[in-house]
Amino acid sequence: MSAPSSLRSWTLPKVDARYFQILYLGSFLVLGTFFLGWDTSPLKLSGILLTALLVQGFFIGIGKADKSSWMSALITGLGLCLLFRANSVYVLMFGSSLAISSKFLFKLRGKHLFNPANIGIIGTLLITNDGWISPGQWGSSIIFLFVLGVLGSVLLFKVGRLDTTLTFLLTFVVLEYSRTVLYLGWSSDVLLHKLSSGSFVLFAFFMITDPKTSPDHPRARLIWAFSIALLAFILSNWAFIHTAPIWALFFITPITAICDTYWKAERFQWTKEKNLNPI
Amino acid sequence: MKKVSVILMSLWLSIGANAFCGFYVAKADATLFNSKSQVILVRDGNRSVITMSNDFQGDARDFAMVVPVPVLLGKNDIRVVNSSLFDMLDSYSAPRMVEYWDAEPCQRYLEIEEYSLDMAMPASVDTRSLAMSKDEARYQVTIEAQYDIEEYDVLILSAKESSGLKNWLIDNGYKIPAQAEEVLQPYIKNGMKFFVVKVDMEVLSRQQSDYLRPLQIEFNSDRFMLPIRLGMANANGDQDMIVYAFTRQGRVECTNYRTVKLPTDRNIPKFIKDKGQFGEFYKDLFARAYEHEGRNSVFLEYAWNVTPNFGVKCDPCVGPPPMYQEFVAAGAKWIDPNNPWGSSIFFTRMHVRYSRDEFPQDLSFQVTPNMEHFQGRYIVTNPATGDMSCSNGQNYLYDLEMRRKREVDALTGWKNPRFASYIYEYSDGIHEERKNEGVPFIPFFPYGPLAGILLLGVTAGLIYTKRRMAKAT
Repeated sequence: MSAPSSLRSWTLPKVDARYFQILYLGSFLVLGTFFLGWDTSPLKLSGILLTALLVQGFFIGIGKADKSSWMSALITGLGLCLLFRANSVYVLMFGSSLAISSKFLFKLRGKHLFNPANIGIIGTLLITNDGWISPGQWGSSIIFLFVLGVLGSVLLFKVGRLDTTLTFLLTFVVLEYSRTVLYLGWSSDVLLHKLSSGSFVLFAFFMITDPKTSPDHPRARLIWAFSIALLAFILSNWAFIHTAPIWALFFITPITAICDTYWKAERFQWTKEKNLNPI
Repeated sequence: MKKVSVILMSLWLSIGANAFCGFYVAKADATLFNSKSQVILVRDGNRSVITMSNDFQGDARDFAMVVPVPVLLGKNDIRVVNSSLFDMLDSYSAPRMVEYWDAEPCQRYLEIEEYSLDMAMPASVDTRSLAMSKDEARYQVTIEAQYDIEEYDVLILSAKESSGLKNWLIDNGYKIPAQAEEVLQPYIKNGMKFFVVKVDMEVLSRQQSDYLRPLQIEFNSDRFMLPIRLGMANANGDQDMIVYAFTRQGRVECTNYRTVKLPTDRNIPKFIKDKGQFGEFYKDLFARAYEHEGRNSVFLEYAWNVTPNFGVKCDPCVGPPPMYQEFVAAGAKWIDPNNPWGSSIFFTRMHVRYSRDEFPQDLSFQVTPNMEHFQGRYIVTNPATGDMSCSNGQNYLYDLEMRRKREVDALTGWKNPRFASYIYEYSDGIHEERKNEGVPFIPFFPYGPLAGILLLGVTAGLIYTKRRMAKAT
């Protein structure tokens, strides 16, 4: 999948897409804490962000990561601030260090085995009894989603992972439409309300698009995104897991390694100029 | 045709269907009005105990209730509880007004008094017998079970399609609104049973009471939710529901709508207490919060660890806290008086005002480990009235005027020139020179550390970008 050439020409070719990502995630955090009244505190948010930066700093220090990788750590930290809640700041800091260290500990052929924020959350949920995700925290304002979608798309065109998002969304929407509207007979606003959850859209645009944990080859990514949508649909409708997409991503991400073995394609890198254009 | 009305309620039990809460069906007129219901939810693992109370206000004889349930409830899964349980939980957890006395600037003393906003509601309901159809084949409706539960007669029906069920209900004397059928359909598709409740008038008259006690049901289900859609089929505008939830771990929150804390710890004008307007004030505050949050949020009114040996349960308490017998009556069976340390229990009170347009989905909940305490608390402060001539006294009067301005400002919709007399009640005591001094402005920014980090990050990012771009050119 490639972006229209007009889009390429006006995007800044030299700017790392991670700046945009930091800007967007940062804005969502400001929105959540100041306007949506999230159950968090300055201490907890600072704890997550500082831990992420410090742990990344450690790995930069021992030569495992290059200097510009602090941005990736900040993105992971912001992702955790947006999603993850706990009573204790130590639990959040644990999640944050788990997320960042997973990038260096669980690695296969130069790629992360798990999405860092994803394993940070799931690992902490499984290990401690003090952590949760609030899927209802965004509400479902349509205008807000529109903005989120547009911002997300711009970002994705720069990273080249819009195919993942579209496949995931399309699969999930078709499955949900078939069950909710066609089979059960709910009116379409029920479906719309389900799909307009901010958590769901944020997941589709910002979590599964991580180029470091999704397959390199476009065809593999289609299968990968389809599998996540299918599993998320099953988990939410039959196991009644409110945070189904996040669990689905956790189970499907390791498959990336297998996909990369069968479908070879050029590896994504944040900083090399040739990769800044869409694939 | 005789006057008959129905409440259709529905429950999400195990498999995957929706429903609960208030579906009044008026036959003769539309005066019935499902304005407010109260529900107690107890959740332990996948076990749910749900106790329902409704403020049915029509002719008591016209009451009946239909609750879709996905499993065939046994007789032991259905019981009645005393309605005083609701009164007790309500008055204990309701938003409260606290009264303080300012210290005299040149002396010191402090007293506290509390008032509860009693939101208790009438629970008077009554029913007439339902004529039962034998023609099951015609409607494709099957009577699966029949129980006598104290003053209630309970039937459990299963249906094959919504029009059959609708026709059965209509032909048995219920008037079902047209919109109900589209709501019944998804529940039937999910294999729900329908739990039809009527009142045994003989038993009720033997009890010498007009009050119908709340009905409690218990079941295992992976889903933890309150179906509200069915209750909207005949809704007369917005409906209010108070949910009292008990868990072992911590707070209950809604997963498909925002759960928002009500504005709390507000200073409110003293005249609200003097004129007995706290109820009016709270209704106004709630209505404003409801509008402000987009009319599609669930509001948190109280959250506290109420474990019997936990200690302080509110600050201040406005009623006796629920104890062992209340928890057990509500269905929190893990509470063991012989093992107080293993009996942790957390109380969450939520208030939701819902309408068809803003709440298309049934309410879905989750239990979180969130132990943060919360209460709706509104503070009335009595001013000091002693000698104000000293410097502290002058500062005090100035602050008092400012505080009263803020108190009045917080009451949008109550703005009125008459409040000037309240704001400036004590301002005559301020000397001329003090009036001209003003107060220093101290900015307050609670998210300082976070903003600092973000600012540093953005600055570093900009510098980095600039350097890279300079290098590239």
